[in-house]
Amino acid sequence: MSAGLFAAIAGVIGAAIASLAFAHSASDAYLMLDATKAAASTASRDTVLHGQWDIALRDLDFVLSLDASGDGDITWAELRTRQRDIADYAYRYLRIADAGVPCTIRPTRMMVDDHADGAYAALFFDVTCPGRPQKIGVDYRLFFAIDPSHRGVFVFRSGAGTATALLSPETATIELPP
Amino acid sequence: MPQSDADVLQQVPPASDPKVRDMKALRTKLDKAPGELPTADLLARAYIAFGREVGDAHYAGYAEAVIARWMAQKPPPVEVQVLQAIILQFRHQFADARALLEKALARDPQNAQAWLTLATLDMVQGRYPTAKDDCAQVARHGGYVLGIACVGNLRSYLGEARQSVVILTQIAGDAPRLSPSFKAWVEGLLAGANERLGDWPQAERHYRKSLEYAPGDNFLLVSYADFLLDRGRPKEVLTLLADHSQSDTAFLRIVLAQAALRSADLPRYVFLMAARFEALRARGSDYYGREQVRFALHLQHDAEGALELARRNWEVQRAPWDVRVFLEAADAAKRPQAAADVLAFLAETKLQDPIIEPLARRLRAELAAAPPAR
Repeated sequence: MSAGLFAAIAGVIGAAIASLAFAHSASDAYLMLDATKAAASTASRDTVLHGQWDIALRDLDFVLSLDASGDGDITWAELRTRQRDIADYAYRYLRIADAGVPCTIRPTRMMVDDHADGAYAALFFDVTCPGRPQKIGVDYRLFFAIDPSHRGVFVFRSGAGTATALLSPETATIELPP
Repeated sequence: MPQSDADVLQQVPPASDPKVRDMKALRTKLDKAPGELPTADLLARAYIAFGREVGDAHYAGYAEAVIARWMAQKPPPVEVQVLQAIILQFRHQFADARALLEKALARDPQNAQAWLTLATLDMVQGRYPTAKDDCAQVARHGGYVLGIACVGNLRSYLGEARQSVVILTQIAGDAPRLSPSFKAWVEGLLAGANERLGDWPQAERHYRKSLEYAPGDNFLLVSYADFLLDRGRPKEVLTLLADHSQSDTAFLRIVLAQAALRSADLPRYVFLMAARFEALRARGSDYYGREQVRFALHLQHDAEGALELARRNWEVQRAPWDVRVFLEAADAAKRPQAAADVLAFLAETKLQDPIIEPLARRLRAELAAAPPAR
């Protein structure tokens, strides 16, 4: 056997044999839309939803290199100064439309949320759709191009109760229950 | 919310780590020339190896994205198919992984990586006669050392741990020309084989040695932590895993150690572990059958629930730890009849293990005394 082949095999040999499961959860984000406060929050007849989107700092670091110092710690200073980049990146991958007419997503603020597997950036936003709601659809593509195992855990709260869905590359588009 | 700029919110792989640097350099190279398969192949392998080392499933996803454009070809290049199989195997999508490996081997029967991956799959699923053939193919196409390591691993599952130690020791002696990750793997296998024999001092020596070759390797750390828990040394588990609580499998051992120490903080740890399992469930992942059984049994004290989880896990994997958690759950639930298939598997494979054997004997005795199951 050539040295090259051996090196190639040895490179993933541990991968093949030693460990058959990963230890970290894979990548998840949590997208919540709330329609319960919709009517009270707007004087116009437009539909307004409130959103919160929790995205793992680990995942954001992979695409945006948040750890500027490269020491392995993301500090609040490092995160704070990149808020705009995070929003620019994330909101590119979220589209909300009503009966095919795009709704406006307006970021309001960013906070930090602790989840069981680490810290998440919590992106808050308002969604405005023109007129009364007809058929609101969500199109979610965050991280799918770089990690097809990413999942968006979607929660929708409305007067009718709470609905959940799992967003994946196969199911990137969903329709909100009326 | 953080109080000050210096607050550390999250640990990530440091950019100063040469492996992280190499991955970033390859990524930049691939982004500039996205059609270059050799670059993609190197990057995907680097992601898989790094993800395995630190125990982070994200990297399997990154690797999958990197090879996606070649996986879409009909047929995909063989080496890409094998990488995809390894990724699926990590996720315990064993049937899909097997199907891909069979396709790859039909086109390239000399692919040692594919044979080795299949051998692992067969071993973890308890298909030992097939695994033996796979190991022979590994030896044929991947060389003597790999073949011997494969067989050495297999024999420790077949009541031949003594022989396993002998042949693995032989390879370890050959070690100077082998890579540290390979040496770490062989040392880890030696530790496991010695555990089968109940030779605790030797097992510990090999665990420590394996961690010298691969410090921070999640799989080895967790295996050593299990060893320490079994020896009644939970305090050392906390020290060993202090920097690895992000890993779910390591975290479970931390929680088990806290339980053994009767820590006042235990409820918080149990809550966090439950939340991690819940997050996995919410995303539709089911990687950790074995760990879930242990959590249900030893931390939630839910023997019936643990037995049900063990039953499901048994359909997926049948390594010694899967045998053990099944028997422990059946024993705790006082349902020896539920363990009949597992006991038959044990009798057939002749697995030796100083913890599993007495447990199996007890369950067999109860089974014999009990009226036959209807």
